[in-house]
Amino acid sequence: MTDLPEFVLDREFDAPRELVWRAWTDPTYLQRWYGPGVETVIHKFELEPEGVWLNEMKMKNGSSFQKAIFKEVTKPEKLVWHHCSTDSDWNTAANLMMPDWPRILLTTVTFAQSGDKTNVRLSQIPLDATDVEIACFAKMKDGMSGGWGGGYAIIDDVLAELKAG
Amino acid sequence: MEQIDYIPSQVNLDAVFHALADRTRRAILSRLIEGDASVNEIAKPFDISQPAVSRHLKVLEHAGLVEREIDKQRRPAKLKAKNLIAAVNWLADFRPMWGTSFSQLDDLLIEMKRENE
Repeated sequence: MTDLPEFVLDREFDAPRELVWRAWTDPTYLQRWYGPGVETVIHKFELEPEGVWLNEMKMKNGSSFQKAIFKEVTKPEKLVWHHCSTDSDWNTAANLMMPDWPRILLTTVTFAQSGDKTNVRLSQIPLDATDVEIACFAKMKDGMSGGWGGGYAIIDDVLAELKAG
Repeated sequence: MEQIDYIPSQVNLDAVFHALADRTRRAILSRLIEGDASVNEIAKPFDISQPAVSRHLKVLEHAGLVEREIDKQRRPAKLKAKNLIAAVNWLADFRPMWGTSFSQLDDLLIEMKRENE
């Protein structure tokens, strides 16, 4: 258990904790920020242990679906959920683009008040994962912390080069 | 669910992640954007040996990001830009999940604070 790869993201938000909590737990707000620059549709949101959050992200080549099952809801400090990638019928399923991505991630978000600001820590650990899924997650995690900025700078260069050529 | 088919079949995303996770390999890709180069030419600006460069090139080749000329003596390495773009386009959908989302949350919190006042 202890040697499972853990993705940790610490982030400070310039708002009091009550407000940050509301942004995470009110679906009207949540769907406005959740998802990387895509349209997010929240189909169901039950903020209680064993309640589900059904989420659709509309990517340009089709939707991506996730189901979260809340495990702990401690207002305004902590949220724990099982984060599952699913098919369009909300059955846990492999990610089509990356079959080895863990199907379930144990996701923990903590909210700590610091003056007028809030420190959020996001942690994700593969749950009930196969060795292959764990290896895939570990590699992705390293890629994310090891300077994806560099990878993106490269693609900017490539695109500029191709346009020029 | 709609089948997503914009990744060329020769692109193995696991291999691409592995290839791009290394700083030296990213620098080699940057070098190849400028033009084809031999192992010798690639090794020059780096503090690494030619065999080490060859090993990195093998990883990039395996990921479908680079190809080597077979028939020429110096076997210049060439960037397979289309594959790199396809892979990174997919990553652009997937990877920035939290980073981009959190920036959006920053903006929303500013609005919410205003509403609260």
